[in-house]
Amino acid sequence: MKINNTQPLEYSTEQNQLNILGFWVFLGAEIMLFATLFTSYFVYENRVGNGPSGAEIFELTPVLIETILLLTSSFTIGLAINAMRLNRKKAMLTFLAVTLVLGLAFLGVEIYEFTHYYHVGATLQTSAFTGMLLTTLGTHGAHVTFGLVWGLFIFIQIKKNGLTPATTNKSFIFSLYWHFLDVVWIFIFSFIYLKGMM
Amino acid sequence: MKELFPIKQVNGFIFSMLLTVVALSVYFLDMSFELGMTILLITAFVQAAVQLVIFMHAGESEDKKAIYTTTIYGLIIALVTVFGSLLAMVWGYM
Amino acid sequence: MEFFERFAVPHPSPLIYASMVAIGLVIIAIVLGITYFKKWGYLWNEWLTTTDHKRIGIMYIISALLMLFRGGADAVMMRFQTSVPENAFLDAQHYNEVFTTHGVVMIFFMAMAFVIGLMNFVVPLQIGARDVAFPRLNAISFWLYFAGAMLFNVSFVIGGSPDAGWTNYYPLAGNDFSTSVGVNYYNWALQISGIGTLMTGINFIATIIKMRAPGMTLMKMPMFTWSSLVTNVIIVFAFPVLTIALLMGTFDRQLGTFFFASENGGMDMMWANLFWVWGHPEVYILILPAFGIYSEIISTFSERNLYGYKSMVGSMVIISLLSFFVWVHHFFTMGHDALTNSIFSITTMAIAVPTGIKIFNWLLTMWKGKIRFTVPMLYSVAFIPLFTIGGVTGVMLAIASADYQYHNTMFLVAHFHNVIIPGVVFAMLAGLTYWWPKMFGFMLNEKIGKWAFWFLTVGFCFSFFPMYITGLDGQARRMYTYSEASGFGPLNMLSFFGAGLMAIGFIVIVYNVYYSFRYAKRGIGDDPWNARSLEWATHNPVPEYNFAIVPQVNSSEAFWDSKKKGHKLFRGDYKEIHMPNNSGLPVIMAGLFFVFGFSFVFYIWAGVIISGIGILACMAYRSFEKDHGRHIKVKEIEETEDKFGGAK
Repeated sequence: MKINNTQPLEYSTEQNQLNILGFWVFLGAEIMLFATLFTSYFVYENRVGNGPSGAEIFELTPVLIETILLLTSSFTIGLAINAMRLNRKKAMLTFLAVTLVLGLAFLGVEIYEFTHYYHVGATLQTSAFTGMLLTTLGTHGAHVTFGLVWGLFIFIQIKKNGLTPATTNKSFIFSLYWHFLDVVWIFIFSFIYLKGMM
Repeated sequence: MKELFPIKQVNGFIFSMLLTVVALSVYFLDMSFELGMTILLITAFVQAAVQLVIFMHAGESEDKKAIYTTTIYGLIIALVTVFGSLLAMVWGYM
Repeated sequence: MEFFERFAVPHPSPLIYASMVAIGLVIIAIVLGITYFKKWGYLWNEWLTTTDHKRIGIMYIISALLMLFRGGADAVMMRFQTSVPENAFLDAQHYNEVFTTHGVVMIFFMAMAFVIGLMNFVVPLQIGARDVAFPRLNAISFWLYFAGAMLFNVSFVIGGSPDAGWTNYYPLAGNDFSTSVGVNYYNWALQISGIGTLMTGINFIATIIKMRAPGMTLMKMPMFTWSSLVTNVIIVFAFPVLTIALLMGTFDRQLGTFFFASENGGMDMMWANLFWVWGHPEVYILILPAFGIYSEIISTFSERNLYGYKSMVGSMVIISLLSFFVWVHHFFTMGHDALTNSIFSITTMAIAVPTGIKIFNWLLTMWKGKIRFTVPMLYSVAFIPLFTIGGVTGVMLAIASADYQYHNTMFLVAHFHNVIIPGVVFAMLAGLTYWWPKMFGFMLNEKIGKWAFWFLTVGFCFSFFPMYITGLDGQARRMYTYSEASGFGPLNMLSFFGAGLMAIGFIVIVYNVYYSFRYAKRGIGDDPWNARSLEWATHNPVPEYNFAIVPQVNSSEAFWDSKKKGHKLFRGDYKEIHMPNNSGLPVIMAGLFFVFGFSFVFYIWAGVIISGIGILACMAYRSFEKDHGRHIKVKEIEETEDKFGGAK
């Protein structure tokens, strides 16, 4: 393995650079995945059938909490990468841990939100609108859940092996994923919730 | 301690919080649908750009051309899909 | 007993029972054969666990050929059924199943696999790389495709095949009208193989962008590599749409949502919309690599460099973008306003422009060339006029108002077979013949190959040209029979005759493989066609590391330059070569995906949960696994190179 010392560790081998580029391309695919969900959501937005409409079931408070949690976690994962590049392993792990805790809190609020929808009679099987709403949110939530487990694995690996070309590469890619989920959430926040409550 | 909180990222974070507050205005203030949507579109896309450039370091590596091409290509096709489908399924469907 | 009843085929017939027995016997024969010849170890170590792009490519191609015969058998049955009015060979239900599986198998499991197989084999060689960017991921892609293909084929004998057409429109595909598990199979088989395809897309983009030989700038890439790059870009942006559409379909059928229902806000045409947002780019995913193959072949056998390289690249990039702008033309008759239909009508017609440019470029490449009519060249030459006819009828279909007449008739069937068979299938056969010596070290017999070519081409014309006429006369597609009074009989008989000729053509190809394997001359050298691009610069067959020394490139035809202009491709000494290790994980993971899909099809939740956990466990294992690959020592390279007759 050739290591190029002029680059940050996460870029230091050819395979590392390929991994990062490959992941960017994957994010391109993710853009289309969520675009398809948004497309469907917009088409079904007013097709509420016998079920409730968005304005009737959306609650600002949990949504706002979720937004702040995710935006902050996006900030802290950025700090984690910054610490990683300064070769500050402990700081890096702290920021990563904070990110994961914030992500977990986000997931908790989202679960609360879903139970709320269940109680007001908006389930997957209520109408095309509620089904699409929950599918879109659920896909994002599933991504966050996956990210939490992935982040935990990376945490363990850094703890065990330190900041190596392999672990830094994984961390950087994880940070891309996490920021991307934040971007998706911004769109959900703006065009599902705020548009729906406007 | 200071180097752990680079000014660029702190500013980015504050800016993204500000954008959220601006977006919230469509909820708290009384405004037309068109104005509200315009505000949301601007805040959402600026927010996405902030994440992309400041936090995701999209432009830092030698592959930045490929990365920006992918993102912009994806964005164009995503918009075509969203608005084309709306045209076919909602606006242009009698 | 009740548990097992769900696996019964809902509309059994002697034909299906016979297939069950045949499938069972073939599986037993294969297992016994491998055991008898003690080949399990070889199979596992050399093929199933391989991460070598060449072997993965060959496995793709073998699977594609198997699927070609499966789908071809469906085609012959359809043509036979409609050859005379009121035929009773197949009933309506079986006919529905046959045209559905024909379409799905041919598009997803034959054409896609063939295209990706050739890409796998050729692209790394053409760019002078040692493998793809993510060899392990490449193996996962193949095995997911294979798991999906097998899952789909299992439907034939367990639970019943899908019967709502390859387009699977709702509400027909919903639970009310498709009561068997067939459409569940459709959803899961395509979902699983689709994930594999998406990964291939990511893999090849990274490979082509980052792993080209020194000196090979983007505008010096061989045309097939360019077409592969553009194709994979389309894959990456189109397949997620299919993923979501299939997910929504699965939710509707298996979890009780209303997305494509006719009640509670559902909208059945939304499926058609999403399907074609993916489906139209998919057409270009198939045809662009074909264009690339024709470009290589035409330039090689005209002994001229490709005319209009830049315009070839430009037109492909434009096609890739436009392919996402046209999907609504598949359902002009849905009831849009004039503006909507006009927009998509115009974007559709616009695609004819870049495509036309490419046609002229090929013609001008041949102009004043020293043309050699080998088998690959014959396919390419036949492609140009036949594809043009298909393109012109495509422009006819693009006229929204006129489409009300053609929609869902045999005219449409004739059109898309007219672009897919001379476009994609001929290209695959041409490409396979062209690169065959690189894969196996001997050439396919030219004479037998030409027989196959003529059977296929003449058979194609007889099969599909009559459909243009019956279609304009109003024969609807997907109807299992028609009355004598309609007058469609004689032309349909002609179609059946053509299908028979095509079937003979494919059998001749199989015979050619057998014949050439036994009798063809070995030791044909590295460059039997006098070709132009880098894949011919290495040995024959290709050593596992592809190139002992990474080639230096200065034009899109570096190998030609090295032969004619004294360009030195290989400079420097041997160095240690880093290669990826084999891994059993992809096979195991794909097996778990198969179990997952199968369990979900039949609502066996325990199976879903167990295999789901298994898949996640594989991913976790991969995350913690340390696999740095292995190194081939300089001495080993020297030995291999000497065996091949000296270093290159």
